[in-house]
Amino acid sequence: MLLPVMLRPSLCCPLQASLLLTRCGAPRTPQAQFEGFLRRRLPPGLHLQIRTRRTRSHQEEWRSHQEERRSHQEEWRSHQEEWRSRNKTVLTYITAAGVGMIGLSYAAVPLYRLYCQASGLGGTAVSGHDAEQVETMTAVKERVIKVTFNADTHASIQWNFRPQQTEIFVVPGETALAFYRAKNPTDKPIIGISTYNVVPFEAGQYFNKIQCFCFEEQRLNPHEEVDMPVFFYIDPEFDEDPRMARVDTITLSYTFFEAKEGQQLPLPGYAYN
Amino acid sequence: MSTAMNFGTKSFKPRAPDKGSFPLDHFGECKAFKEKFMKCLRDNSFDSSRCRLQSKDYLECRMDNQLMTKEPLEKLGFKDLMDPPPGPADGDTKP
Repeated sequence: MLLPVMLRPSLCCPLQASLLLTRCGAPRTPQAQFEGFLRRRLPPGLHLQIRTRRTRSHQEEWRSHQEERRSHQEEWRSHQEEWRSRNKTVLTYITAAGVGMIGLSYAAVPLYRLYCQASGLGGTAVSGHDAEQVETMTAVKERVIKVTFNADTHASIQWNFRPQQTEIFVVPGETALAFYRAKNPTDKPIIGISTYNVVPFEAGQYFNKIQCFCFEEQRLNPHEEVDMPVFFYIDPEFDEDPRMARVDTITLSYTFFEAKEGQQLPLPGYAYN
Repeated sequence: MSTAMNFGTKSFKPRAPDKGSFPLDHFGECKAFKEKFMKCLRDNSFDSSRCRLQSKDYLECRMDNQLMTKEPLEKLGFKDLMDPPPGPADGDTKP
């Protein structure tokens, strides 16, 4: 900043420049010698007048430069403050958005569940699905579907578990009964719990079980054999679904696991109802 | 099957049965009805529609022996197998 200040006087008045140099304690240059010569030649009063006038204008210039500099600095400071306040607002907005997103992700869980129940998306149990339908539905006698049965046991359970019929022919809208048999060949009672699976998956949402033996602990005493019924029906809307047009076989597969003491299985559907 | 890692394919979601779980028939009280039902199925080449009467009998047996909550059979889809309600008294009989 001092550089332009120094350049300007040297352009317009070499004498002033030399004066500045002498003021800053510069070594004696030829110009300074000339200045000393002038001092000796000119009458002393005039010389003093010229000198003070020059210094006064220098000082004024210097003061105006300083003021300029100060105003620049103030401007810069105000810019900075403006920036700071702008940053603060931006930061506040971003933080608010972040917190909003976190809250939304927590709220999404029950909201999505509600949406799924209302729309029945992904085969979830539609909340409007009621048992009254069983009373009023009519059988679609033209569409015969073969239901095959499969029985599995987990490796750790020692039951003998098998279906009593390999297949059965049903029509949508008509209730049907099927049997499985389980035998406990060991000498100690075993508690089992089962789950089921329906293939193809899309047909699973039309496969409604009225009553069965799944998802609850079933206890078999030593050397006991029981019949386990499954009472089900296929929704009559199965016939109207275009995706099910080529489905002729549905496989119902049960798997038994050993229920351990205090073990909580995630039971489907119970948590929501 | 639900472990297939295909993103986007729907996996099967088991649903709880409408009326819950059957209690186990430890004493075989309804075994006779079950045998009748199975025999009917075998005779009719496993056509469920023809053995509905036997399945109705089995479920009635269960209800009688406290193995199933009592419910009107219409609710179980046996409306067509029920006896028709007694009609109005004969007004055609001539004295």
